[in-house]
Amino acid sequence: MSGVGPVSAFYVLAVLSIGSALMVMAARSIIHAVLFLVLFFVSLAAMFVLLSADFVAVAQLLVYAGAIGVLVVFAILLTPSREQRGMETKFVGPGLLAGAVVAGTVIFIAFNTNWPTASNDFPSTVDAIGQALLNRWALPFEIASVLLIAAMIGAIVIVGGRGVDLDPGAAGPSARLVRRER
Amino acid sequence: MTALSGFLLSQWYDLRDLGNPVRALIDWINGWGDGTTFHWVGYIVAGLIGAAAIGLFLGIAMLSLIWIERKAVSRIQIRYGPNRTGPFGLLQPVADALKLMQKEALTPLAGDKIVFWLAPVVIFIPTLLVFGVLPFGPKMTAANISVAVLYIVAIGSATPLVIFMAGWSSNNKYSLLGAMRGIAMAISYEIPMVLSLLGVVLFTGHMDLNGIVQWQQKYHVWLIVLQPLAALTYFISASAELNRTPTDIAEAESEIVAGYHTEYSGMKFGLFYAVELGNALAVSGIWATLFFGGWWLFGLDRWIPAWLIFLGKMYILYGALIITRGTLPRLRIDQLLDFAWKFLLPLALVNVLVVALEVTIWQENGISAGIVLPVFAVVNILLSVVLVVGYVQSFGFARRQRPRRARLITDTLAAMPQ
Amino acid sequence: MTIQTEPFIVNIGPQHPSTHGVFRMRVVLDGEKIIDADMVVGYLHRSLEKLAEERTYTQNIPFTDRMDYLSAMSNNLGYCMAVEKLAGIRVPERGQYLRVIMAELQRIANHSMAIGTFINDCGAWQTPLMWMFAEREKILDLFEMTCGARLTCNYMRIGGVAFDIPDEFLPAVNGLLDDLPRKIDEYEKMLMENEILIARARGVGTIPRDLAISASLTGPMIRGCGIPFDIRKADPYAVYDRFDFAIPVGENGDSYDRFLVRMAELRESVKILKQAVPALPGGPYKVDVPLSIRPPIGDAYARVESPKGELGYYIVSDGGTAPYRFHVRAPSYINLSVLREMVIGASVADSIVSLGSIDIVIGEVDR
Repeated sequence: MSGVGPVSAFYVLAVLSIGSALMVMAARSIIHAVLFLVLFFVSLAAMFVLLSADFVAVAQLLVYAGAIGVLVVFAILLTPSREQRGMETKFVGPGLLAGAVVAGTVIFIAFNTNWPTASNDFPSTVDAIGQALLNRWALPFEIASVLLIAAMIGAIVIVGGRGVDLDPGAAGPSARLVRRER
Repeated sequence: MTALSGFLLSQWYDLRDLGNPVRALIDWINGWGDGTTFHWVGYIVAGLIGAAAIGLFLGIAMLSLIWIERKAVSRIQIRYGPNRTGPFGLLQPVADALKLMQKEALTPLAGDKIVFWLAPVVIFIPTLLVFGVLPFGPKMTAANISVAVLYIVAIGSATPLVIFMAGWSSNNKYSLLGAMRGIAMAISYEIPMVLSLLGVVLFTGHMDLNGIVQWQQKYHVWLIVLQPLAALTYFISASAELNRTPTDIAEAESEIVAGYHTEYSGMKFGLFYAVELGNALAVSGIWATLFFGGWWLFGLDRWIPAWLIFLGKMYILYGALIITRGTLPRLRIDQLLDFAWKFLLPLALVNVLVVALEVTIWQENGISAGIVLPVFAVVNILLSVVLVVGYVQSFGFARRQRPRRARLITDTLAAMPQ
Repeated sequence: MTIQTEPFIVNIGPQHPSTHGVFRMRVVLDGEKIIDADMVVGYLHRSLEKLAEERTYTQNIPFTDRMDYLSAMSNNLGYCMAVEKLAGIRVPERGQYLRVIMAELQRIANHSMAIGTFINDCGAWQTPLMWMFAEREKILDLFEMTCGARLTCNYMRIGGVAFDIPDEFLPAVNGLLDDLPRKIDEYEKMLMENEILIARARGVGTIPRDLAISASLTGPMIRGCGIPFDIRKADPYAVYDRFDFAIPVGENGDSYDRFLVRMAELRESVKILKQAVPALPGGPYKVDVPLSIRPPIGDAYARVESPKGELGYYIVSDGGTAPYRFHVRAPSYINLSVLREMVIGASVADSIVSLGSIDIVIGEVDR
């Protein structure tokens, strides 16, 4: 990486991604945390663009910023609001410790690996990834997809058939409370 | 003479492709100094020109679309439509915009002010970004990226989150309902959309939009002939995410007032409105590019400027969106999701399977395109007709409904149930 | 493990695009499903019944216009019939025929509006409403031609009608009657086979037959359940017994059946008009009745089949110039009473369709 443009872009993106990652933890509102998480994913995607990894960048945007972000939003909205107020948790100490260990490992590996230098004329990554996935790594790829389908069916089996009863009588105490206070 | 015969050899004055003058300008800038020092200026100038062109185009397009849409829909509804502001009401969009700007932009007191303010701004970004990869001409793509098809899907997947931002920060129950509906619909319709695009990518072997257009140019065929199923599923699933009438459950006016943008007023509402139009135009642009040859029109693109052809196709296909909006009632959310999972998804899957088979037959045996493409076209058209008609016959509501008409009773006393 | 969901209370209305005015529905939602609903009416209460006790019998006619403002003629008719019954006034033939013609025109106008707004509630983008408005406009033009007003006609008088029809009325109404069947065909083709409309309205807001009877529903609401109850047949008034027409009924009692019934009633109204207009006799259109009429002491109840159902007026006279008690049996209000049963268990979208299929006018519900 050379030149004024890429280097300054790298630092801007680095500040953006680290800042938004920090804000995910610092934000008081859980929805804000999710939005910062999405911002982090987007800045990471921009980082991949900077590395000429266009396919990975777009996949990052599609899977993480789009799908995972929406999934987290759904999970939050389906959680009762009283369980969303859990900012002060006793896991602060162990969490920080685990984070420090992971960060230390990553930094150690990053500085101790002999990274290969990419050539300047970087080819389009789509073809390469497609060839790799469907030729050399076809079996692991298929196994992964079967695993995902199994997980999905498992989730449906576990959740399905145990629907929430929606009768007015059985609508939960608060529904009846609403009716009584009139 | 070259000007008359239509071959301008891509000089800067060749307006058939507005990429030519830009290219000439960049080349001239790159030639400054020793020929390498000032490349960054060219880079920045090219980027600025692209961004400004897209911004300008979108602004004009949105103004024109407001007028076209209002006028066309009012013709469907036996009305005149706007006809007081300027000739044929042409200044109506300007009047609309001025009115919206003058209105007070209210912020809900209990809402999340920053997110509320951010949502109408952020929702503009995907719309602008999609236009960045649309090829308006052979050289008229602001950013000709190699994974454009995937990029479009990825950009589009960001919209539901912004809808959620708007709905959640309004602190309004209608808004929240609308946001949830919007997200549920968007993630359901993304799957058939991606699958239908996969068919196109598989068949053409290109993931950049210009490559797909050039593929159609090379084989002299529009992809809608070869992949009617993909065109149908893409059109339905992409237009489902536009929040326009048959599928506008996220802002269903008769149910949840205006859905996620209920609380927005003034120009903030105007931005949501404009984004809707812009997205609709983007979808018709993508549809035109993928299935209707983009800027290519059976050789006529040598004489007619390519960007005019593309714009024409885009606006004509936008007409399809206007007609669906003007004629169809809205589906309920469960019916809409059923439609995505039980109709579009199987169709898209069948399409991918068929396309994969056909590509294998074509590539492995090395049959010439002249023989194989007509056969594929006939097979695919027949297959899609059979599938769609079969689905309608076996699962449609109109076929199953009984009675068709109200029973007429003359002797009321005898017919009275005891 | 059960998912604990929190009920979500939404006020649909009073300011809402599809509550047909200022009606409020307070629903408790579980996701999109309504688990409880509470109907709140009264935002447009103008105490018309009380006001009527202070005005003379003739002065009360404009009040009836303002109840169901979409079918003013039928409202006028019912009120005038009640006063005539009380005072023992016989209306001349021409007056009777004019009343029937106006009431049937009003029914077409009202049903056009009802069908249009119903499909709008199903989520169409105004198109069917505008189409239906085109027909309604022509009828309102006829009203304007006759009595000078389009919406609040104030046309009927005690003992007849206010004015005779102008010369251009009959050609205009004949032209309309030639035109209407073709238009109705067009609408049927456009709307009845519409897949989305069927999907949205079939099986939505179904009323069981016994509930319809015990809630004393009337009009298209009860006819949609398959019960051919129509005052024009059950208790013929004016000159309805002279015409040949049928009562359309539905099968399942869902929103789509009510829509079908209204669609068919358009045709039946045209049929009545085609018989009534040529048969319009000459002679006086009104008997002379003193402006401040004093009916004898007593009470009277007169009912007509207004487009929305049985519209009944109950008037008690103490011998003075003003009614002692004036009560309206408003079909919208009584039909609305089953809405809670219709929407519980349905989704928000269905509840709006159910509400739209009742065809309420808040002016009549709240009075």
